Amino acid sequence: MGMLKDEDKKYIREQFDEKLKGPVKILLFSQKLECEYCQPTEEILTELSELSDKITLDVRNLQIDSDDAKQFGVDKVPAIILLGEQDKDYGIRFFGIPSGYEFSTLLADIIDVSNGKSDLPEKMVDKIAAIKTPVHIKVFVTPTCPYCPNAVRAAHKIAMANPRYIKAQMIESTEFPHLANKYAVYGVPKTIINERVQFEGAMPEAAVVEQVLSALEEPGA
Amino acid sequence: MEFSFSVTGPPKVDLKDSYDVVVIGGGPSGLTAAIYTSRAQLSTLVVNKGAPGGLVATTEWIENYPGFPDGVAGAELGRAMQNQAQRFGTEFASGEPEEIHLAADPKVIRVAGQDIKARAVIIATGTTPKKLNVPGEREFYGRGVSYCATCDGPFFADKELLVVGAGSSGVQESGFLAKFASKITIVEFLPTIQAERILIERFKKTGKGSFLLNQEVLAIEGEETVTGVRVRDRDSNEEKLIPAGGVFIYVGLEPQTEAFADQLKLDQWGYIEVDSNLRTNVEGVWAAGDVVSGATRQIAAAVGSGTIAAIEVEHYLSSKS
Repeated sequence: MGMLKDEDKKYIREQFDEKLKGPVKILLFSQKLECEYCQPTEEILTELSELSDKITLDVRNLQIDSDDAKQFGVDKVPAIILLGEQDKDYGIRFFGIPSGYEFSTLLADIIDVSNGKSDLPEKMVDKIAAIKTPVHIKVFVTPTCPYCPNAVRAAHKIAMANPRYIKAQMIESTEFPHLANKYAVYGVPKTIINERVQFEGAMPEAAVVEQVLSALEEPGA
Repeated sequence: MEFSFSVTGPPKVDLKDSYDVVVIGGGPSGLTAAIYTSRAQLSTLVVNKGAPGGLVATTEWIENYPGFPDGVAGAELGRAMQNQAQRFGTEFASGEPEEIHLAADPKVIRVAGQDIKARAVIIATGTTPKKLNVPGEREFYGRGVSYCATCDGPFFADKELLVVGAGSSGVQESGFLAKFASKITIVEFLPTIQAERILIERFKKTGKGSFLLNQEVLAIEGEETVTGVRVRDRDSNEEKLIPAGGVFIYVGLEPQTEAFADQLKLDQWGYIEVDSNLRTNVEGVWAAGDVVSGATRQIAAAVGSGTIAAIEVEHYLSSKS
């Protein structure tokens, strides 16, 4: 038996048929040893990629393909990157298995990447598109946190609005305890922007956009 | 290792300009109302700020909702309800309404910058966990203070935890936290445990828990993160500091009615007042579920209430057109 239930596969297939436009490549960085979650992540992504002919799965190895890993800023596994038409990188990153509630985040992200846009309101997109310095957003989650997908989606939509400068990561806290520890994560979702701004909880998208902008202000300005 | 994968339909990207019914809130009552109105071929939009099922999604396991002899995960139940509504054509918008004009005809609700007209509105915004309102609570939120055991439990492996509130929620979620924590103390303001007996017994069986009754929580203390909770015994007046690496707060719920406070008649606690058909004081506006004044806050009751509101809305709209 696969990881997805038949009824869920049917539902996802219908959603993909209806909503996918362009191709989406799921790039998975993995490794065979010392990665408890790599194998199940590859399994679920394999099943998912079989649900639409617009989706392909490309599995790379963190060590063997270290140049690629470096290019995409991948330093831990499993790592997922969604690429759109002509392998366009939209800045969307998942570190750790997208299970539980985060699976729905992945589905929604795939649909957005396939369409080349999210539903972020134009006013916010304009503000984000005007950013000309690098932004790194980390969103710590647990798979059992129902508030977390909104925080991850907000970060990913913001990255999509300016992928050249903005990269947004989902980080599954239980898989990367050293990171959760480093950033003192005791509650999720917790969002960290450019190591300067951090906040707990799922904020409305407009508020997250403001947090991103505030992270870019000069200290004391 | 076991994994679950939540398959929730992503919200529609393009919302229509108008709907027959807009339901605000995606918990059991809102989703049930949407199942009924959509199935009655009324175009229906559910505006939901959180996960499918609302507060239900934060409940690890539900045992008293009929039809599931072995119980069902809260997340799973919420998702199933949402999928059922979707099957009949309910559309979903994620987020909170930015503006609501209930007295207008049609009613106008602004979602993600777009004004949406509605012939009828069902308010099913439910409740949110109450704050304790003690020093340290806000300061240590996300640094040891939590209102969601399913979200944050894994961060407290082998830690001593304190749970505030010996009602059913507090005791049930303590049972979940016992998977991670080394020790759990449940502190209760009242001299008795309010939780259902079955939950108390299960919690005791974990061998990690104890109750401390008749205690007022005075403050949550810590440095970088929570280190303890200061309580006062309400009989002896004696104060003491209970060491804890985390505090989970389950001291009841409060209605989410701030957005309509000036448009609808509310009771003294902020819940929406309705008549026996769940009509509010504004024509074309119903309320359902836990947000209703005097509601029995149970999933089955919310489902019943959503059903009543939806059927009333059907009658109302067919008599109008």
